[in-house]
Amino acid sequence: MSALAHYLEEEGVPSVAISLIRLHSEKIGPPRALWVPFELGRPLGAASDEKFQSRVIAAALGLLETAPGPAVLEDFPDDDPTAIDLPGWRPPFDIAAGSIVNGEREALEQALRQEVLAIAPFHERFVAVNRRTTVGISGLTIDDCVRLLSAHIAGSLPATPELSNPVQALRWAVDDLKAYYLEAMSADGAMPSSRQMQSWFWDHTLVARAIIALRRQLLASDEKRSQAIGRMNLVPGAQVQRLGLQ
Amino acid sequence: MARMTDLPQATQTNMTNLECPRFETTPFVSGPPLAERRVAVVTSAGLVRRGERPFTSGDVDYRVLPADTPASQILMSHASVNFDRTAFQRDINVVFPLDRLRTMEEAGMIGSLAATHYSFMGATDPRGMEANARAVAGRLKSDRVDAVLLTPV
Repeated sequence: MSALAHYLEEEGVPSVAISLIRLHSEKIGPPRALWVPFELGRPLGAASDEKFQSRVIAAALGLLETAPGPAVLEDFPDDDPTAIDLPGWRPPFDIAAGSIVNGEREALEQALRQEVLAIAPFHERFVAVNRRTTVGISGLTIDDCVRLLSAHIAGSLPATPELSNPVQALRWAVDDLKAYYLEAMSADGAMPSSRQMQSWFWDHTLVARAIIALRRQLLASDEKRSQAIGRMNLVPGAQVQRLGLQ
Repeated sequence: MARMTDLPQATQTNMTNLECPRFETTPFVSGPPLAERRVAVVTSAGLVRRGERPFTSGDVDYRVLPADTPASQILMSHASVNFDRTAFQRDINVVFPLDRLRTMEEAGMIGSLAATHYSFMGATDPRGMEANARAVAGRLKSDRVDAVLLTPV
């Protein structure tokens, strides 16, 4: 962000950057930046809190009027009020994750389908309330995401002509599955911390176990791109650390 | 959170050791009062319109997000999995705050909202984005934008 600010401003376009990593803004020194003490992924802090978001924007844009000269880096004073654990939080559904049986593609696919089916009403409720879903980056249906994931874990990736890069497609399918589950987990409007949601997802769902199995497979691959996606693009680093994954 | 000490150890190490571009000088363009400025959002969240090609690791190009694109048609395709997406899933404004800027426009706090906004994908060396960033600057100037809010993830 800070480097983009340099390029835009050099072309004559005034800018202000929101900064999540203060150290990077200190090093790059954009024309104007507002550091915010929020979680990565939340530059405006609190979801669904119009007043809080507007305060952050006003503080940032205000630097366009008040900054006396270049390389201004100010700090937003308040934490995200929603970044706290909700005591006793659980998602609005309960599922019992089975185990992954290597090589049994049909059994795995069926078990994953059952899990997806069980939470489908909750995902539908999330979409009805929020009038949008972030599922869709793979371009596949959730059923097809399940099929692709199951097939890969079972070592029988189907020949799918539309997938020019099967491992990249697999990564997008995993992104869609994660979004589908996390959205369903939010169907009742509760606002647990992201840490609570991530812990529940990675501890309680079969699809998370399947993603971890996929990660293990890709890491063992001879192909560098597969290894890289396995290492960096499936399981968040915080979960790798928490779960003690290799 | 996003204080360094709140991040997982591996992320802390990556963030601390990340090589950042250095600039000899810092440009600084002044402008009219905020209430007269035309504001655009440029994000590095890897946002795309539904059906567009997603960003992949190393991409240095950008996507165009017209202001009238419904929120339901905007997806996130960032290469990194090491940031929270649940807030964006609940509320697009936490990353791409056009609704908030519209409210500020109605209240007279900003002059107007730009017709078009832009998305890059972070998690790649920004020096590779320089030519595209300068191209975006040209497009912003064509839209008479004189204030850009940059939002990362």
